[in-house]
Amino acid sequence: MGTFKLPDLGEGLAEAEILEWHVKPGDRVLVDQPMVSVETAKAVVEVPVPYSGTVTALHGTVGDIVATGAPLIDFDSGTVVGSMPATSEVEYVDSAKIGRARGGVAARNRAVPMARALARRFGLDLADIAGSGPGGLIKLDDVLAHAQMDAAQSQLRPEGNQRALAVPAGATAEPLRGARRAMAHSMTLSRAQIPLSTVCDDADIHAWSQRGDYMLRLIRAMISAWRAEPALNAWYDAASNSRILLKHIDLAIAVDTPGGLIVPVLRNIQNKTPEELRAAIAAQKDAAHQRSTTPEDLRDFTLMLSNFGTLAGRYGIPLVVPPAVAILGAGKVRKDAVAVGDMVAAHRRMPLSLSFDHRCITGGEACRFLAAVIGDLEHPQ
Amino acid sequence: MLEAPPRKPWHNSQMRTVAEFKIDYKQILDPRGEIVAPLPKFAAEPAEVLRMYRAMTRVRVFDAKAVNLQRTGQLGTYPSSLGHEAAHIGVGAAMQPEDVLAPVYREFGTQLWRGVTMKEILLYWGGDERGNDFGRPRHDFAWCVPIATQTLHAAGAAMAFKLRKEPRCALAYIGDGGTSEGAFYEALNLAGAGTLPVVFVIVNNGWAISVPVARQTATQTLAQKAVAAGIPGVQVDGNDVFAVRDTVAEALNAARRGAGPCLIEALTYRLSDHTTADDASRYRSAHEVKEAWALEPLIRVRQYLRNSGAWTEAEEQALLKDCTREVDAAVNEYLNTPKQSTDAMFDTLFAELPLHLREQRAIARKYGAKPRGH
Amino acid sequence: MTMVEAIAMAHGWEMQHDPSVVVIGQDVGANGGVFRATAGLQARFGTDRVQDTPLAEATIAGMSVGMATHGLKPVAEIQFMGFMYPALDQIVNHMSRMRYRTRGRLSCPVVIRTPHGGGIHAPEHHSESTETMLCHIPGIRVVCPSSPARAYGLLLAAIRDPDPVMFLEPVRLYRAMRQEVSDDGQALPLDHCFILREGSDVTIVTWGAMTIETLRAVGELESQGISAEVIDVATLSPIDGETILASVAKTGRLVIVHEAARNVGVGAEIAALVAEHGLYDLHAPVQRVTGFDTIMPLFRLEHDYIPCVQRIVDAVQLTLTD
Repeated sequence: MGTFKLPDLGEGLAEAEILEWHVKPGDRVLVDQPMVSVETAKAVVEVPVPYSGTVTALHGTVGDIVATGAPLIDFDSGTVVGSMPATSEVEYVDSAKIGRARGGVAARNRAVPMARALARRFGLDLADIAGSGPGGLIKLDDVLAHAQMDAAQSQLRPEGNQRALAVPAGATAEPLRGARRAMAHSMTLSRAQIPLSTVCDDADIHAWSQRGDYMLRLIRAMISAWRAEPALNAWYDAASNSRILLKHIDLAIAVDTPGGLIVPVLRNIQNKTPEELRAAIAAQKDAAHQRSTTPEDLRDFTLMLSNFGTLAGRYGIPLVVPPAVAILGAGKVRKDAVAVGDMVAAHRRMPLSLSFDHRCITGGEACRFLAAVIGDLEHPQ
Repeated sequence: MLEAPPRKPWHNSQMRTVAEFKIDYKQILDPRGEIVAPLPKFAAEPAEVLRMYRAMTRVRVFDAKAVNLQRTGQLGTYPSSLGHEAAHIGVGAAMQPEDVLAPVYREFGTQLWRGVTMKEILLYWGGDERGNDFGRPRHDFAWCVPIATQTLHAAGAAMAFKLRKEPRCALAYIGDGGTSEGAFYEALNLAGAGTLPVVFVIVNNGWAISVPVARQTATQTLAQKAVAAGIPGVQVDGNDVFAVRDTVAEALNAARRGAGPCLIEALTYRLSDHTTADDASRYRSAHEVKEAWALEPLIRVRQYLRNSGAWTEAEEQALLKDCTREVDAAVNEYLNTPKQSTDAMFDTLFAELPLHLREQRAIARKYGAKPRGH
Repeated sequence: MTMVEAIAMAHGWEMQHDPSVVVIGQDVGANGGVFRATAGLQARFGTDRVQDTPLAEATIAGMSVGMATHGLKPVAEIQFMGFMYPALDQIVNHMSRMRYRTRGRLSCPVVIRTPHGGGIHAPEHHSESTETMLCHIPGIRVVCPSSPARAYGLLLAAIRDPDPVMFLEPVRLYRAMRQEVSDDGQALPLDHCFILREGSDVTIVTWGAMTIETLRAVGELESQGISAEVIDVATLSPIDGETILASVAKTGRLVIVHEAARNVGVGAEIAALVAEHGLYDLHAPVQRVTGFDTIMPLFRLEHDYIPCVQRIVDAVQLTLTD
């Protein structure tokens, strides 16, 4: 218990009269809060609480005269240093939980900081990116790969960042569906992923004994070329940077239909007889025109052929759809002026354009393949 | 004075005494104001006695005001020196200006005598480091809160004086509780081993916060701790300003002459609480305090002055008025001193502020609270 | 009750149930401690079990070693953290390594309690928060409670722990709040963080009195639509890194708040921990909001030293800006 005495209120005033107590015994008080009003000869003076504590007794009531230095009020306070309340009215709301009591939290979207920053720069959501690191950690390359894909696909995303074009009067916007939509997707993919290179040449077919079944001859030539140069019948796996040389050829053939480009697949052509091939081609063409090609017949091709020459065009730069790595484009057969010895003659020739994925096919491989195709095509039968 | 409990020697084998100790005690002015020992020269000069009495009154008036400031929320926790005026003024008057004082935190009488200002004292206890930046003496140590550490500082300063062959002394205060700290023993030991010009003054006021001296130690006196260090130790009546001044002056002279250190135990009583936030009635009796008041130091000097016809009531009142006026002016200055800017947290940390702290100084400026009152 | 009352209550419970527990320190007996943390104990358990020691911190720490290695469980008070330093020799050179150097033959079940930190207008040297010094010492635990209930439960755990525990009691919290605390002798676990608030946008890690500013900052952030998770480290050494890392995995952002100076503060250890084990969860650099690397100023400037609510809010905002 500490007794606080009436302090010297200034200029040697000897006493003061208690006018009003602002605290009472039992009150928990804080330093500086109003404690008592006293009147001196000069003025009414507010005496603040001198130090925090609990009021235990008042020495005097209203009207009493207290001498300077006489006991005024008793406190119970609680410290040797500093300024601290005797207690608190602040109620502590405790919602604490002991740590390590929760189950393991699955970490979401763990990414190397640079990858995270890059994703942010590209406007990519980490949740969409597959991480190739341990535990699904997203690394820089993952973001880069995804960014390329994403850049390609952003044109297809209706909710993408691009503003729709203003459709001029009289015209209508026709959303691409079905085969057209698929083509937009696969060609965009091709462009985004494959460093394409194309080599062109002509096959001189003037020696053919019978006019012909260009498709069959082309297919036979491709099989023959594959035997000479197997590298073009392969898949490229970007994730592992490896190529898979295939022991069979599933040939995708481009079929033009009113509904769009359909690219059905002829399976295992290396094992099929010409009759079987013809039947397969016919069947697939029918199905394409009837829009009944099954999804299974569109998948998993290993090599591609586009005989656009049935329509028009000499050379082209046909696109390879991944994971395949090569496509042969055949242009319109026509008579060309060719050099025969030192003379010029008119020979029927088939223009050929071989596009290949230059990540895993060398120019040499491609040219050897093409040479083999030409060699077979130039055979009289 | 503590009476030793009779102790039987614990050994029964025949041993011969190789060393003994005795502790002498001095009192010149007794509680009634009577002279009980030969008067030192300074005490024979009324002007000098008056000078000391004025100083004792001044510090008491200041001290009361400081307590009041704390009580009214205008000063932080404050350690009152009530009852210690003779010890403090006696020491102050015995020291030379070029000597170095290593205080604890209660010896305002000594500091005011030596030139520390009331405003500086108030600033420090009001939470402002500028209080430690004494205008004078520039060489005195600042207040020292970690108990007993100042004794080693004093010994070190004394070492510097000795190495430079300066005729200066260091004087360290310590409380009764402080004599339990290792640093105290180490300082005495060092001073003795090095024959250092340092005087240690124990102000034994009976209490270390709530712990009485009897619980601090088994020794009969605190002065005899000097024996363990091989240095002289004496006791004086700490409420007798003549005895304190005379003994300390002798000790300082000896030290100055190269005779080495001395330990002086001044017996007094802590009439106040340990600090303004302590409540001594929790652990000691009102009766004990009342008895101690009868022995307090101002009474006897006042009486001595009156007895010699050198002091009247009118002069007493005038003195009180003078002191009050001086104190009020200092308080006013203190209350009107705005707090330091946040830069003060960085300015004197190093001689030159390192780079990383410039950043932090900027942060502190940015978030600095507006200057407040007290 | 307040924290300081809860601390006294914990002493009482444990002394009642374990006769080997002894309280020592300056002014802990008749005075009940300068903050009343040991109020009533000497009257209840006597002067042998609640002892006022001589004024010497090295004595307090050293005698604790002697008492603890020989069957007692001393709960020793160092009156303020600023006076801990003479005791460091005994703590570092003996208490921390007694079990280790005797291969388990001798050990020190000691608790050293001390008021920690500033903010109560105390005199010089009375506002220290130098917990880093202690955390760096292997062989001792360092604990800092932030509520009356946790002070009760953690002190019981500390006294029951067979190894030395430094129990740092934030002065600013001693009487800052009241809470129902049941005197049931239930200890809380050491070496565990406490999750004071759950949130999803940022993790704020803190301890001691800074939980006050942190929770205020969290309120402000909430009004800005930011959801903060608040973790009270509680045991500063050894740190429960698991809880912190799990939280950072959830939020991706971390702000550490402590009153102690920045340089080599415990916040640096936590930041390093997260850099090592949680880097891939971070969306932004770790922020530390700390006291400045200067001497704790006298009390007129102490609230310019102690990190304010705005600094915490600003640090959180920093983690959220790209």
